[in-house]
Amino acid sequence: MLTATLALRGWGIHLPESDPSACRPDAAAELLGRKGLLGRDDATRLALCAVHRALGLEAGVRPGGDARTDVAVVACGNLGNVDTVADLARTATTDGVRAVSPLAAPNASSNVIASVVAIWFRFAGPNLMVCSGAAASYDALATAALLLRAGRARRVVVVGAEAATGTATALYGQSLTSGAACVIVESAPDGVRVRLNGSVPAPVTVASWGDCYGAQGLVGVALAADRVRATGGPVEVSCGGGTDGYRSLTVSSGSVGAR
Amino acid sequence: MPVIAATTQLTCFGDGSRTWAALTDGRCGARPFDAATAARLNVGATYPIAGRADRGRAADWLATVLRAAAAEAGVDARRERVVVVVGTGLRQLADVERWALDDTPCPVDQLHFGSAVRAALPGVREVVTLANACSAGGHALALAQDLVEAGEADVAVAAAADTATLSMQAMIGKVADRPTARVRPFDRDRTGVLLGDGAAAVVVTPVERPGPRLAHLLATGLSCDAVHETAPDVGGMTRAMRDALLRADREARDVRVVVAHGTGTALNDPTECQAIREVIHADQGDPWVTALKGAIGHTSGAAALCGVDIAVRGLRLGAVPPVVGLGNPLAEADGVRLVRDHPVAVPGSLTQINSFGFGGVNAVTLLEPAC
Repeated sequence: MLTATLALRGWGIHLPESDPSACRPDAAAELLGRKGLLGRDDATRLALCAVHRALGLEAGVRPGGDARTDVAVVACGNLGNVDTVADLARTATTDGVRAVSPLAAPNASSNVIASVVAIWFRFAGPNLMVCSGAAASYDALATAALLLRAGRARRVVVVGAEAATGTATALYGQSLTSGAACVIVESAPDGVRVRLNGSVPAPVTVASWGDCYGAQGLVGVALAADRVRATGGPVEVSCGGGTDGYRSLTVSSGSVGAR
Repeated sequence: MPVIAATTQLTCFGDGSRTWAALTDGRCGARPFDAATAARLNVGATYPIAGRADRGRAADWLATVLRAAAAEAGVDARRERVVVVVGTGLRQLADVERWALDDTPCPVDQLHFGSAVRAALPGVREVVTLANACSAGGHALALAQDLVEAGEADVAVAAAADTATLSMQAMIGKVADRPTARVRPFDRDRTGVLLGDGAAAVVVTPVERPGPRLAHLLATGLSCDAVHETAPDVGGMTRAMRDALLRADREARDVRVVVAHGTGTALNDPTECQAIREVIHADQGDPWVTALKGAIGHTSGAAALCGVDIAVRGLRLGAVPPVVGLGNPLAEADGVRLVRDHPVAVPGSLTQINSFGFGGVNAVTLLEPAC
């Protein structure tokens, strides 16, 4: 979609496979608090953890008050609900719906990550879930840019998550890394920013943390933002794959990236 | 203000004109499940598109509607900057289910629709798949308009496709008292929703582009309830309606026709009636209200664009089809002018299309006749 430059107002990364300080999905209550996690799939838990970190909240704290109608949510990911879908299909076929848990209902819908983030953190602006494969992170940032440009939100919480569950890994057919990242973007591109460069013929970076598929680009951007804040940047990252094509993004800071 | 240059859909009745004919005749496209399936799922029927039950059904339907709409609008993706935004509720999760049940291969990069769209419209610049539940098509239309207005595309196509999944039908069966035989929107004795197969495509272009102009696309308003994952919220619905009116610079009292979401569930229909009253009736409006799902089922992410296709046909023909399956309106619809039994004649005027999805995601579109 469109190329754009967005300000990064905050970011958070949650990579439990490589970061000992990042809780695993089944221990998400340590960060998020106990209430409301029953029946949540792993990808949704990881996404909540990444947003929690991006917002800089204390462990167990959840925002209260009125929902913010000027904050949009754009989530991305592809395999978060395939466990629920596969399990429901098997159970409904062998034992019938009487054996199905009603707690599975939200997870049967592919936009569960976006809607749970909205409910959890009280974001009532436009709410979208991008499931466009390996470049989903790029498409999510481009969608956020479009929402801002169209005046549909003042701020967009962009969050990506994939969970390397048994079903997701089997379906993916290659090594999948559990992980999530969140970036909070606005349109005025000052401070640390991300530029959406569009399509590139091949990946520009090697990801040291693994392959988070639909969340890969956002994890890359959030890690790059850490580096840019520490060293000044700029850092180019990419996401994509053979079928979906590759996209490039550049994270820079106001002083170095400005030309 | 962009225009809709072409629109089509594919439902259990066939293409857009066949679907329009079925609605105006009051036909219901539900096909009952066999007794064993109905008992196992606690779901009585579905609204299927006839044909093969192979892998990639939704992608095939999407390609069909995209090619038809592009041809009708004279779109050549090799010469113009064309972007396609696909809205879907259930993606190709039916293929994941088949893979889980009998190991039929399910290529992960065909869970979304990028490769299907690129094959159907060679030269297309970008394809984005949005999984936005039952309002996905409405969200895709909002972004398509944003892209055209921002000058980022010469042509933006909002498209949608969905095929019923076992997992979603299981969730419908889980909350049903008994298997539902047909969808009865806004009926006192409604027994719940049923899924239908569906696909639709709407071609959005700047008004200056040469070619057909079927309707003015005024605006699509978006909101999220941020209240509950599966239950609707009147506050979220009214916010999307008001957002659409504000963006369109129109008054609620001028809305003459509403193509409602109307799912035939206990919760949606009274909540939607209340939202229509709070926004339109409170402003002295009194629109005709219709709904499609009694005829074509709930086509999930395609539902909004199926509604847009019918609304555009209605604008051009000066008619609104009846709510198929409606016998006795629910008490909460008192004062809401539901179209019953036969089409009504309404000269083309401001038309609103509602779509509300799981997760509290709401999209409301406003159309006007093209001059």
